Amino acid sequence: MKLVFDLALRDLLRERTHLICNIAVLAGVLVPLLVVFGIKNGVYDALIGRLLNDPATLRIETSGNMAFTEVDVAEVAGWEETGFVTAKTRSVFDFVNVRRDGAVEKRDAILVPSGTGDPTLPDGLDLLPGDVVVSANLARQLELSVGDPLQVFTQATERPRQLMVPLTIAAILPDARAPGRSLFANIEVLDLVEAFYDEYALPDHGITEGRDLATRTPEFEGLRVFARDIHSLAALQSRIEQRFAVRTEARTAEVSGVLSLGRNLDIALLLTAGVASLGLAAALVFGFWGEVARKRQTIAALALLGIGSRQIWLFPLVQALASGLAGLVVSFALFLLAGAAAENLFDSGLTQENGLVVLSMAQAVIIAVLVLAFVAFTAYFAARSAARVDPAEVLREGAT
Amino acid sequence: MASMSSPCPSTSCPDIMSASLVINGLSVSLSDNERRFTLAVPDLSLAQGEVVGLTGPSGTGKTMLLEVLGLLRRPTGGAYRLTDDAEDIDLTALWSLARTGPDAPQVRATHFGFVPQSGGLLPFLSVAENIALSQRIADRPDPAWQAGLTDRLGLASLVDLTPAALSIGQRQRVAIARALAHRPAFVIADEPTAALDPDAAVAAMGLLIEAATAGGAGVIISSHDLALLDRFEMRRIALSITSDAGSAEVTSTLGPRAAA
Repeated sequence: MKLVFDLALRDLLRERTHLICNIAVLAGVLVPLLVVFGIKNGVYDALIGRLLNDPATLRIETSGNMAFTEVDVAEVAGWEETGFVTAKTRSVFDFVNVRRDGAVEKRDAILVPSGTGDPTLPDGLDLLPGDVVVSANLARQLELSVGDPLQVFTQATERPRQLMVPLTIAAILPDARAPGRSLFANIEVLDLVEAFYDEYALPDHGITEGRDLATRTPEFEGLRVFARDIHSLAALQSRIEQRFAVRTEARTAEVSGVLSLGRNLDIALLLTAGVASLGLAAALVFGFWGEVARKRQTIAALALLGIGSRQIWLFPLVQALASGLAGLVVSFALFLLAGAAAENLFDSGLTQENGLVVLSMAQAVIIAVLVLAFVAFTAYFAARSAARVDPAEVLREGAT
Repeated sequence: MASMSSPCPSTSCPDIMSASLVINGLSVSLSDNERRFTLAVPDLSLAQGEVVGLTGPSGTGKTMLLEVLGLLRRPTGGAYRLTDDAEDIDLTALWSLARTGPDAPQVRATHFGFVPQSGGLLPFLSVAENIALSQRIADRPDPAWQAGLTDRLGLASLVDLTPAALSIGQRQRVAIARALAHRPAFVIADEPTAALDPDAAVAAMGLLIEAATAGGAGVIISSHDLALLDRFEMRRIALSITSDAGSAEVTSTLGPRAAA
């Protein structure tokens, strides 16, 4: 078998014109496909990356004044499409005042229900009771740092005393995550504020007048939900709306648009590759087959000398695979050149980080394996033809 | 240079040292819608060291007989055996699907050498590599024997050239060297000098017979050139049409050379 490999490669290297033709045919089809595939990767990855970098992409907020219970929250939390869920209190009570403990300067801010697992919070942050995460804007204005004690306070017209809730800053969110002045705390903090506005007595916070808190049944105006991933967003939104008969707000249309773009690009690329493959297959099948026809005397001579049909079929196959390998090397080299040219030609802020034309090593390896398998397939007819060459043809040439 | 005077001076001689090819009652038939051609070989033997000249008019099946002898064509019926002191191989059984052991290409590679009319050289190998090819296929490397053949056939100065750079006569000498390089028991030469001018034909035929017999091989040579064959000592056999002229059934039968 090694001898057939050796002879096939020697013959291939001697017939450089044929080798160059096959390389050109392969590169002519592969390079444009690789560039289109690379651009699709680069642009699509950038769009998806932009979405994934913003946790708000996954967020679904219910609209209107509904009545959700803790059981509802637990139910939604158990759905496979759900990444994180928390209840929301009435939005009219979301505005609170904030100051660093002991400081005079205060700011109003939005109190957002959150919790451990909220993708808005820093990865891995465990939001304990009494913890709060503040936006960078608020932190700058009140000169807050992680670990600082913070006072959230609010005033209701009918209540003689303010509600004062002491919290500790667990993290500060960057502007991209939380623009404006906002606070992220567990739902219990918001529920406490709501109970204050609902005129319940809160003796733990020095408010002894009001209704008995024990008679209060917690009920929430809405849900703040995050999908497990962008592919689950539309399904989760639909499920919430159907299950609770509510309207919701989410960036589903934007996400669906990008996902649809990716699918359409995949289909377009697949169709293009399919049509190109048909042409390439025809060119290679007839090219390899024609080579065997042209070299019948050489193959017959090898068979005459004792290389049987069980090995002689390797002769065109080895040449085909070697041509394919050379074609791949040239194609990837040209792809890199074309990719570099495309990066310079297109001024795309979208792809500044990772590049406009992207092809991972794993994708390159898969493409190479597929191309070699494709080339081997196209060499099948040539191999079969070689195996059927009659060694007696060498004797019959000129026989009488 | 290896000695060419003894049949097999090297330690890598083929296993068969006194082998014979023996055919009895063998026939091969070809047919189409209008005509049926049958090659009949009642008896034929070829021993190692023997030289046999095969003649016959065009269309009598000389090449077909050589194809059968060289395991390139399956006989329709009859017996074809390779015998020596150690073994007796039924060569017709090589075509059987139920056979075990070596197949026809393997037996061909080890026991036979071929000198086609056209040379049949590989254009992408040098002269030296072409000659060594039969040794590589038979797994019988013997550089000393190859060097001796190369010298004897006048190819020493040509070993690095490719066939395209050689004259027809030189190519035939390379084909002769390749046919003998792996020390086959038998050499089959089909019109080996047909493409050569008379002087070159005499020289090539002489070299073929001399080198083959020096290596201990039995040689069968088909040729149209009766005068050329007459110049060398050999047993002669001939094919002739034995059926009626114009018959749809044509039979060519092998027999001894007709008396002059």
